[in-house]
Order: sequence, then structure tokens, then C-alpha cells
Amino acid sequence: MRSLGTRRLVLGCLSVAVLVGVYTLVSNVGRLVDPALLPEPLARLSRPDILPPTQAIFRALVSLVTGQLPPMEGHHDHPSGHVSQLVEKHVTLQGALRASVLRVLFGVAVGGPLGILTGIVLGWNQAADEYLHPIYVLLRSIPSLALITYVMLWLGHGEAHVLIPIVYAVFTTVVIPTYHGVRDLAAVYVRAARSLGAGGRLLFARVVLPAASPAVLSALRYSIIIAWMTTVGVEMLMGDDGIGHLLVGGGLWSSRLQIGVDPAVIIVGILALAATGYVMDAAARIVNDRVTFWARRRRAW
Amino acid sequence: MVIALCSIRVRRGLVGLLALAGLYGAAAQIASGRLPTTVSLPQHDIEGVELLPTYASLAEEGLFLVQAGILLQGAAVSTGRVLAGFLLGSVVGITLGLAMGWAEGLEYVLDPWVVLLRFTPALALLPLYVLWLGLGEAAKIGLIATAVAVVTLQGAYQGVRGIPRVYWDAASALAAAPSLVLRRIVLPAALPQILASLRIAIALGWVTVIAAELIQPSMPSLGYLLALAGAYPRVPTIMIALAAIALLVLVSDGLTLAVYFQATRWMRRRHA
Repeated sequence: MRSLGTRRLVLGCLSVAVLVGVYTLVSNVGRLVDPALLPEPLARLSRPDILPPTQAIFRALVSLVTGQLPPMEGHHDHPSGHVSQLVEKHVTLQGALRASVLRVLFGVAVGGPLGILTGIVLGWNQAADEYLHPIYVLLRSIPSLALITYVMLWLGHGEAHVLIPIVYAVFTTVVIPTYHGVRDLAAVYVRAARSLGAGGRLLFARVVLPAASPAVLSALRYSIIIAWMTTVGVEMLMGDDGIGHLLVGGGLWSSRLQIGVDPAVIIVGILALAATGYVMDAAARIVNDRVTFWARRRRAW
Repeated sequence: MVIALCSIRVRRGLVGLLALAGLYGAAAQIASGRLPTTVSLPQHDIEGVELLPTYASLAEEGLFLVQAGILLQGAAVSTGRVLAGFLLGSVVGITLGLAMGWAEGLEYVLDPWVVLLRFTPALALLPLYVLWLGLGEAAKIGLIATAVAVVTLQGAYQGVRGIPRVYWDAASALAAAPSLVLRRIVLPAALPQILASLRIAIALGWVTVIAAELIQPSMPSLGYLLALAGAYPRVPTIMIALAAIALLVLVSDGLTLAVYFQATRWMRRRHA
């Protein structure tokens, strides 16, 4: 068992080390050899504005975390316009991540209960399910990011219209697992509780909710990742802060994509996004395992 | 019995949808002339906006968009992108996922990169792809393919890992060749999971394409239509674009679901 874990760790670290090494070599090939001598695909790749050298990525990371530009050292390593623009506006990586994570938490905190409530109603009441399910499917089919142009007309340009697509995305994600958790609840439980005289609130609080809770919690965990994706998308389009804004600021109609982005900043942003997403998911997993430890036994059948 | 149940479901579903449509129509009629028509955006104010367009103006706008060919062209372009990205991404994702589930060494080697991509919102890759692949189709299709590949990879991987040990043991005891194991054990056993992940993947493909077209609006497409209509703004066009997107998402979801049910019929036990 232990040797298996070690093998996994060694191979994983080796894989990362090899790829980072190869990347460093390829991205620095222009410095080692005269670019004019290189064959065509390599010559294009060696341009720092296409494939930023590893040290440039590291420098961008340092600048974005400390909020200061590195001291000029004379040679051609000066920071890109993208980085200096961000530093000038006092945008830091941790500040942007904080804003984005808060949006995700808001989305889960508001959209989660709404989705759970809807899922419970649809799962418990067959008539409500039959009347409302098609409407839910219709709503679910509209991508949350597509909503923002319309929402903006109603609410103007502000925080609310950044948050609404996130809430919407979490809501539509949480409904279905909750619905199945409640609807497909083993009929034996309900029948046993009923025959013992439980009904109404008691049946609901002591039988239905606990039995559905693993499904609900895993839906909430999944919705964090959905909210994370939506948040970044909305910030890329509309945000005034947050990690999506750090990547391509400027909003929907003057996107920085046309002005030119620094790939080093994008790579730093992607690594930060992945790390933060992983941490949020791991935290949700730990909470889920703690809360629903009793459900794990059933899975072993 | 089944037919009767179905018809109640269908009838009630229709009632629900019609009630929604009626409510919207009534709200739009009441609101027309009463809602503010000026919208203030950061740069400028816009006048003459119909926040809740009535069915009459929706029909007029829809007719115009269809006759001008804008809607159909946009739908065709967006659908083409989703399909291309979906095909590319699912082939890559399923192949890698099956291989990772089968060969433990490969799994350990690829694992860090899968985790990296899994928790990275695909949209964050768009600037990089635009830089590497240019402003054309390749960047958008590559983006959709990435999002699709991550999901299908997980589906295929979990499908292979879920194969009971007995099957592997039986195959090796009978000295089955790897190609036979692939065809008779791995593929059939992983198929349900793969198909389920394809259903998630196609929805994700649509989300990604619309967002990518909004962030980098260049070619005529549904996302571009939406961005344009939002910039003017023309609310009826926004509504129609949203409806067209929802319709396409519904159709593609229905198709993948139908394939899933067809292909996994053997799994379902017959109920008494």
C-alpha cells in the first residue's frame, strides 16, 4: 500500500519536473541559440510573447503578489505592459482571488438553498414536479453567462449583475441531485416511518432530509466548481475586479484580447485558479466526508 | 397504464409551460409603456429600450432575423464549433481516460495535469489559445475541445476503474489479447460512464462556446449576436438569441440522452 502511494508521488513529481524542464528549455531556446538559425516552428515558439520563459512567469508571479515591479536591470527583461498596468492599478493576485472566491461563496450561499428548496419541492410533490419540471429544464438550458447582457439592462453595471449569473448557475446545478435524492429515497424508509405514525414535519425532518443529505452535499460540492467557472467567465466579461478581470480586463466591449495580453500573467492566473479551485473542492470534500460519514458504509455493498 | 401516466405528465408539463408563456405575455403587455425606457451604462445612456418585449415585437424581430439569415447563420456557426470541439475533445478525452484507467503508470504521470485542467475554468485558457492559435476558429474549437476532453477523460477513467476485478482476472486467466480485452471488457463496461460524461460534455461545450463568442466576438454566431444585441441594446434580439441557444442546448441534450438510453438498454432490469 505504501509503495503504491510512493510510486504515485514519484511518478507525479517526475512528470511535473520533466515537463517544467522541457518547457524552460524550449521557451529559452531563443536566448541560447541565434533565433535566425532555428527551424520555423521553434523560432516562433521561442518568442517570449508566445511562450513566456519560466523565469518571466516567476517574475510576473512575484510582481503580482507583492504589487511591485522588479527593479530594472538594464537588459531586455523589463516587465510587460500588462503587468505594469495591473501593478499601477494596485491589482494583486491574492486580492483578485479573494474577490473571486467571495463571489463563489455568495453564489453557493444564495443559489444553494434556492436550488435545494426547489429540488425538495419537485422531488416530494409529484404534481408540482409534473407542472414545473419542463420549466426548470428550459431554464437550465440557458447558459448562465448568456444571461448577463439582459440582466445588465435591468440592473445596470454593478455587482448585482456579476453575481446573478453565478447564483443562477449554482441554482440550476443543485436542483437535480436534490430532486433525485428526495424522489428516489428508498420507499421502505417512508413506509416504515409512516407505519410507526410519523407524518408531516417529523417524517420530513427525520427521514427525508437525512436520507437526501449525501446527494445534496455532493451537489453543493460540485456547484462550487461550476460557480468557479461562471465567476471567471463573468469577470472576464464584466467584472471590475477578481481573477477574470486580472486575466483579460476591460469588459465586454473593449476586451484586452484585442490590445494584447501577457501570456506570463495568464499562466500565473491559470495556476492560481487551479490551486484555489482545488483547495475549495478539497475543503468541501472534507466537510462532506465528516457530515455524511454514516452514508459511506452503504457504498461498500 | 404507462401511456395514461405519460399523458398526464405531458399534459401537466404543457400546462406549466403555457402558464409561464401566458404570464410573460401578460406582464409584457402591462409593462409596455410603463417600464423605464432609458438604460444607463457606464459610458452612456441608451433610450428607447423595451425591457420586456411583447410577443408582437418578438415576432417582428424574429421574422427579421430569420429573413435576414442572421439567426440561422449564427446558429449554424455556433453549432459547427460545438460539434467540432466536441468530436475532437471526446476522442482525445476518451482515449486518454481509457489509457489512464488501464495503465497505472500512465495514470500517475498524467494525474497532476488532469487535476490542473480540472480545476481551471476553461475560459481562462482563451487568451492563451488566441495567442497561440490566432483569432480564428482554431482557438475557439480548441477551447471547447479542452473543456470536453477534461470531462470525458474523467468519465472514461472512472468507467474503466469501475470494472470488477473478476473480469480482469478472467481475461488474464484465459490469456486474452489486449485488443480482445479492450473490445469485449473495457469498452462495454466503460460505455455507460462515457456516455453519461458525453451528456455533461455537450452542455459544457455550449456554455463554453457562448462565453467564448461573447468574450471575443468576431464571427457571426449566436454569442456574437447576443453581444451585439446587448451593445445596442435590442432586447427582442437578446430574447430570441437566448431562446435559440436554449433550443439548441435542449436538442443536443435530448440527442445525447437518447443515445445513452439506446446504448444502455441491456443494463436496465425489467421491473415486474
